[in-house]
This record gives sequence, structure tokens and C-alpha cells, in this order.
Amino acid sequence: MAQNPSRRAFLLRTGLAALAGGVAVPWLSWAAAKVGEAAPAFTAVASTGKSVSLASYRSRIVVLEWTNHECPYVRKHYETGNMQALQKEATGQGVVWLSVISSAPGEQGYVSPAQANELTQSRGAAPTAVLLDPKGTVGRMYGATNTPHMYVIDEAGILRYAGAIDDRPTTRTSDVQGAHNYVRAALHAVAAGQPVPAPVTHAYGCTVKYAA
Amino acid sequence: MQPELSRDVGARPVAVPPDAERPPRQWTRWLPVAFAGAALLLGSAPPGLAASEGQGAGPKVRVELVSEVESLAPSQSFWVGLRERIAPGWHTYWSNPGDSGEPTALEWALPRGFAAGALVWPHPDRVHVGPFVSYGYTGEVVLLTRLTAPRDLEPGARVTLRGRATWLVCAKICIPEEAPVALALPVTAGKPSADVHGATVISRARGAVPTPSPWTASFSTTPDAVVLTVAAVGLNRERVTDVWFYPARWGVIEHAAPQAVTVAADGITLRVRRGVLPVATETPIEGVLVITERLDGGTAGQAFSLRALPRGLTGSTVADARPSVTLLQAMALALAGGLLLNLMPCVLPVLSVKALSLVEHAGARAAILRGHGVAYTAGVLASFGMVAGVLIALRASGEWLGWGFQLQSPLVVTLLVDVLFVLGLSLSGVVLIGGRLAGAGQALTTRLGYAGSFFTGALATVAATPCTAPFMAVAIGYALAQPWATALLVFETLGFGLALPYLLLTLVPGWRRLLPRPGPWMERLRQFLAFPLYAAVAWLVWVVSQEAGPQGVAVALAGLVLIGFAAWLYAASRAVSGPWRRAATATVALLALAAVGLGPVVGSRPSSPTGAAVPDPRGLSFEPFSTERVAELRAHGIPVFVNFTAAWCITCLVNERLALRSSAVAATFARKGVVSLKADWTTRDPQIARVLESFGRSGVPLYLLYPRAAAGREAGEPTVLPQILSEEMIIDAVERI
Repeated sequence: MAQNPSRRAFLLRTGLAALAGGVAVPWLSWAAAKVGEAAPAFTAVASTGKSVSLASYRSRIVVLEWTNHECPYVRKHYETGNMQALQKEATGQGVVWLSVISSAPGEQGYVSPAQANELTQSRGAAPTAVLLDPKGTVGRMYGATNTPHMYVIDEAGILRYAGAIDDRPTTRTSDVQGAHNYVRAALHAVAAGQPVPAPVTHAYGCTVKYAA
Repeated sequence: MQPELSRDVGARPVAVPPDAERPPRQWTRWLPVAFAGAALLLGSAPPGLAASEGQGAGPKVRVELVSEVESLAPSQSFWVGLRERIAPGWHTYWSNPGDSGEPTALEWALPRGFAAGALVWPHPDRVHVGPFVSYGYTGEVVLLTRLTAPRDLEPGARVTLRGRATWLVCAKICIPEEAPVALALPVTAGKPSADVHGATVISRARGAVPTPSPWTASFSTTPDAVVLTVAAVGLNRERVTDVWFYPARWGVIEHAAPQAVTVAADGITLRVRRGVLPVATETPIEGVLVITERLDGGTAGQAFSLRALPRGLTGSTVADARPSVTLLQAMALALAGGLLLNLMPCVLPVLSVKALSLVEHAGARAAILRGHGVAYTAGVLASFGMVAGVLIALRASGEWLGWGFQLQSPLVVTLLVDVLFVLGLSLSGVVLIGGRLAGAGQALTTRLGYAGSFFTGALATVAATPCTAPFMAVAIGYALAQPWATALLVFETLGFGLALPYLLLTLVPGWRRLLPRPGPWMERLRQFLAFPLYAAVAWLVWVVSQEAGPQGVAVALAGLVLIGFAAWLYAASRAVSGPWRRAATATVALLALAAVGLGPVVGSRPSSPTGAAVPDPRGLSFEPFSTERVAELRAHGIPVFVNFTAAWCITCLVNERLALRSSAVAATFARKGVVSLKADWTTRDPQIARVLESFGRSGVPLYLLYPRAAAGREAGEPTVLPQILSEEMIIDAVERI
């Protein structure tokens, strides 16, 4: 972090930034998935070893949950049982729930397939599948920045919600009670064929620990 | 110099150690060791990595409450600060934490009757974590709160101010931490005394809190970007080393995207990729702009709080440039806008004169008239193409400009003033060149006049530039967000709209029958039409006054006098012949050149910041500086304060607003009998330059405080005050003389 760069460096940087206008530059990959547009297709390996592709869930509602079991914000929702309850409620209504782990090897939250399965079991979680994305391909495709970061895709494959799990951006477990759960609201709206009340919200949590 | 910049360095400890990016890795490297140890001690496996993060290494942030006062009085308002000392490599968050994170919170549990304001945040820094950017603090930060004591406070009692601070501290991994904080203060009956240590800490923190922007700001949006324009007129590009905009809300911009900044004489333009929250740009954008300015021997970061209003690209309030219009709609709007341009006061006279000449020569051969119509249209289209081409090229090179960008240059505006004035004079009948310019008379009946018609078209374009017709804003806003070919198409459609009425009159003979019969009314109308032009001239001179100040107005008006004289001389000398006529023509040419040559003088003088805040009447009043005046005052034993400043110096501006305009400072100066002089270096005065040089400076700000000279004795050397002033600092220095 060059705090006081020389003028030359500054001019160079801003000049380059200006020149980069139309060229594909790294940050452009960040808002790839847009709410209201088709959700980007992907295929990833699940913790069971099976290959999972989004396309195979066409005509079903899909939830994507970015997670990192060591992140205090994720723990808030698992230690209170909040996340598991929502998973069970959703999958009970035929919704496909995919938990995605984009932590790179050596980074916080990275797990082996066996560890992932063990976590699901020990925490009583109920996702349809846990996807391992150590290269961050799916994460970057969706512009996932936080854990938890939640997405809802409708039956037609359109991304309908992206953002936080609820409206209490804290690690306090006491804040789970009484919070407004955006994902539940989005699921209800999509199931009822209604527009999602808050389609984009500020995802809160830890940064996704992508490979550098 | 370093201590002088302590406001910058202390309150926003930007000097991140070189290993700032690394700690997480080192941390995770020895974590397993810590684990093994913990597991051995406890005899059981730890539940998870994070469980031991906070405990194993102790808190990453140490907090304490700091007060600017040592004791309290009833009804008193005072600042307290939550001071966070953050472990190296870790950071806490600003009110908008950026890509992730959570701002610090302070929940008060104050004694009955006390009131607490909201947290006041020093400006943040960018903290890079992987591909993300967070807004926060490293090293140390002091978050401020204004507390007010109740009226019924008992002198002699002791009150304890309690609260609970919660914060998230992150390196690459994050730890939520919290701690109770408390501060006990005695209550006194009289004036409460300042806590010397606490007051310094608080004052430094307050120096890093953004001050309201002295400049207006606006923004426009494209499907991909937000473009913020700050009317910081007259800044010196050489002095600005860094500019960054921190939005107050999440979702307005991509936090991690580069910000393309242009610092020009007319202000700062910042272009950044749009955030993911579409509604965020439907309301004014608020945030903090941090400008890092190069000073003698260092840099200083100045933070301004901004509220940018949405605008169309033409500067009008036409909603948003993010168009829902299609290309066809944009072209239709451009055509309508172009047609309406014909009615604008700067264009109407030019067009009317063309139309009048048609009336006079309605009997001319249809083919020749058509030729003139086509030549005129070609002139309009060629010149529109040129202006649009320049605009598109400049934008491609990173300048973020809109239609009418030419008018941001006082030089161009001055030249337009000259051109419109000449046209006006010709319509008034002072000089006949206008007749020829407008393609009247002989020219229209022959093919020889085609060039004249072409240039009338160009002239109509020039005259049209200051005018914005309704519908144009939307069309231009659309065009500028498109690839260059599409943009050019829309601009040319606009030009075609401008040319269309005259073109139709020449192409369709039937329409000419609708024109009234020729008669003496034509001369009256022609003379009358000079007045819209004079009105346009008056308006443009006002524009010059905004851009270049009184100096610019003087130059523009002098140019008008020269042009008026030249026009008269030209007309008068047509009656004579031979050498006199030639001499007069040469003089006219010289005068015209002189008038135009005056233009550049306008641009060369740095202007004063027109957007600057209205001076606060409570502050210090300054006399102009001269070395003689200093010597004279000192000879009379009067202490002198000299403020070396410039309109383009941001730090000077902030110092004036934060410190020199304070009523407490003014009161202290008055009590001590200090006379204040202002040395304005906006225009590089050589006398001031010499003084600056004698203090080893190459630029402003410089603040000198000459002590009271004892009678008959050589006066002492002046005190050089720091480049970054605070109220306390000046008062302290003045008290000591």
C-alpha cells in the first residue's frame, strides 16, 4: 500500500487506470453475476466426489451459500442453528441448497472432502451438496466477497437475490433472534412468483479466502 | 518536517509496515504449534482454529477512553475519544467497511442526564486484503464522540463515563473483540481544565475528521461507471499526489476498482466502476474525498466530506445519463434538439440573416439555392464532426468531459465573446462584413458563394456551442456512453437538426412561398437581431468572470473595445481609397489580432476558487503582505502573523477553515495585539517567493509569527509554525509571544 506515491507513480497509475477503460482487467471479474440476469453456469466437485452442475437443477430453485467454518460470522449462524434451520426449511420445500467453499489450500476455511462431510454431519447441516472450489472459479464467477454470501436462483435459472443472510451485520449470536432473513424472504417471493423485495443487499462477513 | 505532519501521521497511521501483507501467512504458520501446545496442556483437541485466535495471542486491539478535559462542569459539552491501538498487520474498520468487515461500535451506559452524539470518524485508508479493499485503520485511530453533561451536576462529585466497545479486527482472518471502557472525571464549579495529553490526542484526531467540502460536487453514471466531478477550481496538478473517494454507503462503487483521477484547472474528475446496488446512484452520493498534497518536505492528506448530486452530462439537472433510450430514440431527440437550437438566442440571428437573404433572392435559380443549402449543411456537419471528434478523442484518453467542455476554458469563451460581438456589430450595421459572412447579397446568387455558405454553417455551430437546447442532454448523455461511431452518428444527427430548417427552405421551392415579401421590415429585423447576440455576449462575459475572475473580465472587455474600434475603422475606411484604405485595413487586422491575442492572457492567470466557502466573518482579518509593512509594524513593536497562502493550496484552505477562522484564535490575536498579514502566492509574486526562499521553502503554506520587538533592540527571529495548523497550536504559539 503505497501511501504517498510519487507524483509520477500517481500519474502513471491513474493514467493506466484510464487507459484500461475498455480492456478486461481483474476487477471486472467481480460483478460477473448480475441479479435479474441468467446465473452463470458452473460445474464443481462436491465433497462426495460427485460432479455437480447448475444446469442439472433447471426448473428448481437453487440457493448458493458461500461458507468458511472458521469465520466468526459463519459460526454465528451455525452455532445458533440458524443456517441449518433455513437449509432444512428450504430443502424440505424442494429447494436445492449448495454450500460453496472457495478458500484456497492453506487459507482459513479450506477443507478436504472428508473434513467437509464431517463438518456437515457434526453441525447437523442439511445442504443438498457441499461444493469445493479451492481455485475460486465459481466464487469469482458470482462475485462472492464474503462468508456467508447468499444467492438465490429461480426455476428459470435467473439470479434473483445476492447479498447478506440477514440485516444484522454482527458476530453476536444474540442478533440472530429478531433479524430479518433476506434469504427466506427471497425464497418466499421466488416461490410465489413475486419480485424479491430487496434483490441486492450488502453481504457481511469475512472475506472469501481466495487463492492469491 | 515530520513532526509538522503529525496530524496526518498520527491520526491516520498510514505507515503500514512492509510486512503488512504477510502476517496472515506467518500467523497461520505458527498456529499449528500453538495448537499442539494448547492440545497438550488441555489434554484434548481444540474445537477449531478460530476458537483460539482471540485467546492465544491476546487481543489485537487495545482500547481506552480519552477526554479533552480533566474535569467537568454542568451543561458542558466536550469531546471524548475511543482510542484503538491496533497490532501491526491488523486493521479495524471505518463506518463503511468496504468489501467486508464491520465498523467499531461504542454503546454508552452514561450516568443519568448525559447525552452522547454519534461516533465521528477520522477518514480511513485503503487496506488491501487479497483481491479486496477494505476501508479502515491501521496502527492507531481515535473515534470521537461529543458528550454533554447535565445541568444539575453537583460540583465536587465524580462521574464515571462507561461504555462497551465492540469491533472487528482483521488481518486476512478476522476476530471480533470487545471491551468495557470507562473514564472517571471530577466535577468542578468553575471553568473545567483541559487534559493536556488528552486534548492533544483529540485535537490530532479531529484534524483527520473530514471537513465539509468547500467545493460543490456532482456525479453522472454510465452503465459501468460512476463519474464524480468536484468543482475544485484552480488546483495545482503538480501538488496533488493522490486522490481517493471513499463512499459513505456500500454498493455505490466497486471498492477495489482503480479510480481514474484527472486533476485539471477546472476541478477533479474521478471515474470508478459502479457498485452492485443499482438504487445507490438514484440518490445523492455521499462520501469522503481524501486529497494528498505535496508540501515542502512531505505530504499531507486532506479529507473533505462530499455530497454529490446527480446531473446530466451537460451540467443541467436532466436526471441521469444512464439512458433507457435506444439509438433511434436518441437520434430522434438529437434531431429535435438540433431543430430547437435554431431558436436559441446565439443561433437565431445567424439563421435569420440566412433566411432574410433567401427572401431577397427568392427569384434566384433553384439549383444555385440548393447548392447553398447543401454547402451550409456540409459546413454544420463538418464542424459538428470536428467538435464531436475532439470530444470523443479526449474522452478516450481519460478526460471525462461533456458537451460544452470547450466553455470550461476561459480562453475559448473569450474568443466566442469576440466572434458573437463581431456578428452583432454587423447586424447593427456598424460594419458590413457580417452581411458577407451570412452569405447575403451577391454571393447567394452565384456559385462563388458556396464557400461562404459552408462557413456560415461552421459559424452557426460555433454560435450554437454555448447553447443547450431541450432534448439535447438526454441524446448527448446517451451518445457519450456509446462506442465512438455511434456517438458520432448522434452528434451528426444533432448537427443535421441544426441545418435542417435552412436546408428545407432551399430544397423545397414551395416552402419559400411561405416567406413574407421583401421590404424595409427586413432591415429593422436584422438590426433587432443584434440584441440577442449582445445578450449572449453579456452572458459569456459573466461566464468568464466565473472562470477567470475580474482579470478575465477586464481582458474580455478590452477585447470588445478593440473589436468595436476595428469595426468602425474598417467601415469608415471603405469610403477612402489608395494607401489610406490599405493602412486602415492593416490596422484593422492588427486590432483584431490584438483582441484575439488578449485571450490567452485570460488563461494564464490562475483563478481563485469560485466554489470556495463564504469567508467566516468571525475569523482573523488580514491586511495584504509586504516586507515594508512587516518592517513598519515591527518597528512599532507590534507582533505580526503572516499567512503565506494560495488559492490552489488545499492545505492552506483547510488550515484557514479549521484554525484561522476560529473565533477563539481571533480573540487571542486581538488580546495580544497581533496584526495579521496575508501573502497571496496564487500568482507567484517574486517578493513573496524571496521570503519563502529565505525560510528554505519553495511553496506555501508558510506561517510566520514575529514576536513583539522590544523598543530600540534588534527584534528576534520569527517562529515558523507548522504547515498543518490546529486552533490550539496557534493560540498556544500566540500566548507565548
